[in-house]
Amino acid sequence: MKFVTQLQESIEKHFNENVLCINGVFYTYQDFATEISKIRFAITSSIEESEKLIGLVTNDDLQTYASIIALWLEGKAYVPVNPSSPIERNTKVFELTETKYVIDSSESSIYQDYQVIATRTLKNTDINLVPKETSGDQLAYILFTSGTTGLPKGVPITFNNVQGLVNAIDAEPTFNLESSDRCLQMFELTFDFSVVTYLFPLLAGACMYTIPKGAIKYFYIFKLIKEQRLTVLTMVPSIINYLRPYFSEINAPDVRYCSFGGGALHHDIAKEWSDCLPNCKIFNYYGPTEFTVYSGFYPYHKETATKNHNGIIAIGTPQKDTRYLVVDENNEEVQLEVTGELCLGGPQITPGYWKNDEKNAKSFFTRKENGEEIRYYKTGDLCFKDQDGDFLYVGRADFQVKIRGYRVELAEIEFHAKAKSDKKVNMVAIDVYNKLGNAELGLAIESEEFEIDEVLEYMKTKMPDYMIPAHVRFIPEFPHSINGKINRKELRTHFDIN
Amino acid sequence: MNREEILSKVTEAFVSVLEHSNFELSDETTANDVDGWESVTHMMIISEVEKKFNIKFKLMDLMNMNNVGDLLKTIESEL
Repeated sequence: MKFVTQLQESIEKHFNENVLCINGVFYTYQDFATEISKIRFAITSSIEESEKLIGLVTNDDLQTYASIIALWLEGKAYVPVNPSSPIERNTKVFELTETKYVIDSSESSIYQDYQVIATRTLKNTDINLVPKETSGDQLAYILFTSGTTGLPKGVPITFNNVQGLVNAIDAEPTFNLESSDRCLQMFELTFDFSVVTYLFPLLAGACMYTIPKGAIKYFYIFKLIKEQRLTVLTMVPSIINYLRPYFSEINAPDVRYCSFGGGALHHDIAKEWSDCLPNCKIFNYYGPTEFTVYSGFYPYHKETATKNHNGIIAIGTPQKDTRYLVVDENNEEVQLEVTGELCLGGPQITPGYWKNDEKNAKSFFTRKENGEEIRYYKTGDLCFKDQDGDFLYVGRADFQVKIRGYRVELAEIEFHAKAKSDKKVNMVAIDVYNKLGNAELGLAIESEEFEIDEVLEYMKTKMPDYMIPAHVRFIPEFPHSINGKINRKELRTHFDIN
Repeated sequence: MNREEILSKVTEAFVSVLEHSNFELSDETTANDVDGWESVTHMMIISEVEKKFNIKFKLMDLMNMNNVGDLLKTIESEL
């Protein structure tokens, strides 16, 4: 695979440069190559060739990043699990993917029912970064996102998919990382956005700066920008929403690029943020996990490129080899300036949800274009295309919300809340907005007040922390709209959280 | 305002943001010791504390705040 060979070349070429700064400690590309080789040796000597999906506990350390590259050199996929997520959810992920081996850099691994490769204690070996011949349709990773039925939904991504992403970014003349760049890597490795924040710095020989677990990330990011003089930022918009009260104290002339993704970027805050970064190009990226992170972007500029709809910055145009199509409910293309569901086609499209034919039948379709069968993924995002060919984001077509950049199906929260409660009452999860404009989760319960702690404790054993409702309200009778549906808009007014 | 009064007002801010009171704050308390105190709720707590004391923190102070003791010290310096 071309990009894996490029990774090898970049690592070998930048031996004396730094690859990672974790909690104030720097590691060089040579350190990285050593770790990769040790882990690779452990993989080849203990995992059989046919075993392709390997669990990875995503700690914030050199070994975890090295494990991803070691697996790729061997043509295997990583199945990441977050050590702060409930073990029950993580073992569910391994069960769904039939994962038998888990790479774990923790001091002691809690995955004793699996074959654990403990990467902290491996013996030194010769450096070996030559990739094995791998077919492009093999998987590079599988990520799990919130699903409506209480089960997380697996999104497999192939080496070809990742190559498509690399080709598209390489083709973009306005974005070029250099080995001297200092890049923010704020994402947990179970979150698909992390793929661009480690892959592109590695391909350029640049250095990544991570956020230690337990740090207050907003202030830690500012500390990195200020003290380490970061040059490349990639983040979700909620970061700047939280930093907004302090913008007047931020001036970061070293930042060259700032890319946003994973949520709606609002025009007013983008402008104010842009004032903090006087020498920076801002990119508003769009793309779902199912399409290998990014599918396109809009090059925002506070004076010359501020196209927006209801204050939400445009998502611009598709990147190289990607096709955008806006459709109606019959998957027929709609006219310019008509809102419909955005669908994506091209080399970055996932082969389909992991073992989920029912969902695949709903989310993918093919269409003949100039004699060619093009497969499209339906994003669930409502958009329209304007006269200039730019795409503008309107909203979601379903009950999915974004909490701190993570996709959350409200139905999954309701499922787990109801599963534990012996009171058979109506429960509705909604997104409520705090005064900084960020979504938080609320749980409305149609009942007189009762003890809810046990239900919340149970939910914490089933779902990651960002999916646990921060606010609970008891409402004797839910408001309904005229057609009998629960009126979520009015429910929201019960959550006065500011 | 003495330290005790400050602490009691700070505790009120924590309770109102975290929506529970299963904690006792001391100088050494960090986010790891209190259920629900993490990046997002921290920002809400800070904004609640600013409101209660009618002060405005500096980003430089917030950046180096590691425990409740640091928070109390910063409030004292702002009052």
